Amino acid sequence: MNAKPYLSVGLMLALGGAVPASAFAETLIVNSYGGPYEAIIEERIIKPFEEKYGVDVVYDAVGSASQDYAKIKATKGQPGFDVAVMTASQSLQGCKDRLLEKLDAGAVPNLQKLEPTLAAVAGPCGAVHEVQYMALLYRTDKLAVAPTSWSSLFDPQLDGKIILPTFQNVMAVFLLEIMSVVRGGDMIDNIEPGFAAMAELARQSIGFEQSSAILESYIKDGTVWAMPFWNGRAQLLVDQGVPVDYVRPEEGTIPLIATLNVPIGAQNKQAAMAFIEFFLEKSSQEAWVTGYQVGSARTDIDIPVDIRKRQITTKADLDGLKLPDLSRIADKLGEWGERWERDVVSQAN
Amino acid sequence: MSTIALAAPAALPSVPARTSGYLVLAPSCLLLIIFFALPMGTMIGMSFTNAETLAPTLFHYQRFFSDGLSLSGLYRTAVMSLLVAFCVTVLGYPIAYYLAGSRSRWRALVFALALAPELAGVVLRTYGWLIILEDRGFINDALINLGIIASPLPLSKNLFAVVVGLTHVVLPFGILSLTTSIQGIDPNLERAAQMLGASRLSVVRHIILPLSIPGIVSSLLISFTMAASAYATPALLGGAGFKVLATMIYEQVLFYIDWRFAAVMAIALLSMMLTVSFLGIRYETRRSLRRSNREGGAA
Repeated sequence: MNAKPYLSVGLMLALGGAVPASAFAETLIVNSYGGPYEAIIEERIIKPFEEKYGVDVVYDAVGSASQDYAKIKATKGQPGFDVAVMTASQSLQGCKDRLLEKLDAGAVPNLQKLEPTLAAVAGPCGAVHEVQYMALLYRTDKLAVAPTSWSSLFDPQLDGKIILPTFQNVMAVFLLEIMSVVRGGDMIDNIEPGFAAMAELARQSIGFEQSSAILESYIKDGTVWAMPFWNGRAQLLVDQGVPVDYVRPEEGTIPLIATLNVPIGAQNKQAAMAFIEFFLEKSSQEAWVTGYQVGSARTDIDIPVDIRKRQITTKADLDGLKLPDLSRIADKLGEWGERWERDVVSQAN
Repeated sequence: MSTIALAAPAALPSVPARTSGYLVLAPSCLLLIIFFALPMGTMIGMSFTNAETLAPTLFHYQRFFSDGLSLSGLYRTAVMSLLVAFCVTVLGYPIAYYLAGSRSRWRALVFALALAPELAGVVLRTYGWLIILEDRGFINDALINLGIIASPLPLSKNLFAVVVGLTHVVLPFGILSLTTSIQGIDPNLERAAQMLGASRLSVVRHIILPLSIPGIVSSLLISFTMAASAYATPALLGGAGFKVLATMIYEQVLFYIDWRFAAVMAIALLSMMLTVSFLGIRYETRRSLRRSNREGGAA
């Protein structure tokens, strides 16, 4: 990577955003998600960015994080977009495959403001702009007592009342790991207890679904009474008035770390770096956390207390997380996937 | 007249004619080379190399034959495709027979209805079936509300659901193939048989059915290959419990990021489809030859 242009951009950004509009390309293509995400990112991040820098952002809502990464890989780093919103898993893989730009504080000074342990999980090619965690979501009108532990999913009253993610949803991998910890194993090398627990849970479940949208439909209509779910989407359900609530179980949980990435062959790298820098600014992070109801890797943000108590925003919150070793998970994924099909899926009703 | 007739072919020498024939074929061939042969070659090459070192290896093939899941996926794909091919041909045949022979004013309507599924996207149609078949779907809801069943029938996330969904998707292609074949049968044969006292059923059984075998084979092959390569319908209606090779390839590409193993699966799928197509075409070619020989002998 030629660092010079980024260093100059970084310097300008560090000087208080005194960047002339002409310093960047006029159009920046950002690939991310559709639905509520699109509306919130447009309002809270993209419009302020466009106003500040005079750059037109084209929002490309096609594809999930894994589909975006497949496109980056298939085009050898020239997917046609400049910034991709993906997760730490794709960031690590992209760095390994040399398909994503390495980001540094020279080009993106705000990277220094991120909590180092979280930034390390995503590696040098991903800028952590959002943190969610795997929560235990439950129906408040069906369960008299709120669950406090992952073991609550084994409660006989939930027989036929839980649903599980398919293994191709990374939530299943994290659930397997956390169940392993709950049953005395660990998150990588001693995963046996996790598989035994998941087989047991599969017998208790009504089956598996991959998409978060379909998973949430089961709890919305009351077919399912409890399930693991990302806390950001769980909070959206709470806000919609669905009789649900969610907890961070006492054994701890694993975060879903979302990242901003720049493909190696992006056309407008300077504007891409500026966009990432802008997204990581304190005010942008506050706008994003309060808008999309997620956590942040910046612990210096000021947000309302009711949001803070449910999100990952402080050092204490971060210390309570079990951080996944995504590189080692990637190495184990094939083996675990085969085992999941054989030992877990076969147990479902 | 004869002079003119003889002179006309001489005006077009054979070599330039052949050259112009090649020129006509060239764009299609070029297109096939760029968008089929080259990607296929890349995929085959990829399947024999190590991801890290790029050294030649048979590891991915060994894994395919030994992991226990891939061969099961291939088997499920074959069973599902055979069932879809059978259902499409059996359900499509009466409609095709009606469309080929009818002069009724309803013919246009039946034709439009037969092709109507193609007007909606495959994902939309599949979601339609999901709404009907799933545990909380129309059928189970109705049966539970009527007190006929206490818990939902297993109508989705299995082979049954996928075969139903794919039959709906592929049926128009089967009907078109069968209609074309039945339309090619000389209507005088049917009339002659009826004049000689054959019942309508007997005419269909002894005349129409044997003469429409090329259409039946074509319908079976089209349906089989379309079903085997389908992704959206098996993914949505089969779910985690019924994975076919197409859905497994998707997972290897996007989730496991193991393109080499995905390439092996794709080659296995392609090999299965080519084998079935080859067997079907060979059967039909031999049958036609035997028929020609018989007719030649009788003459």
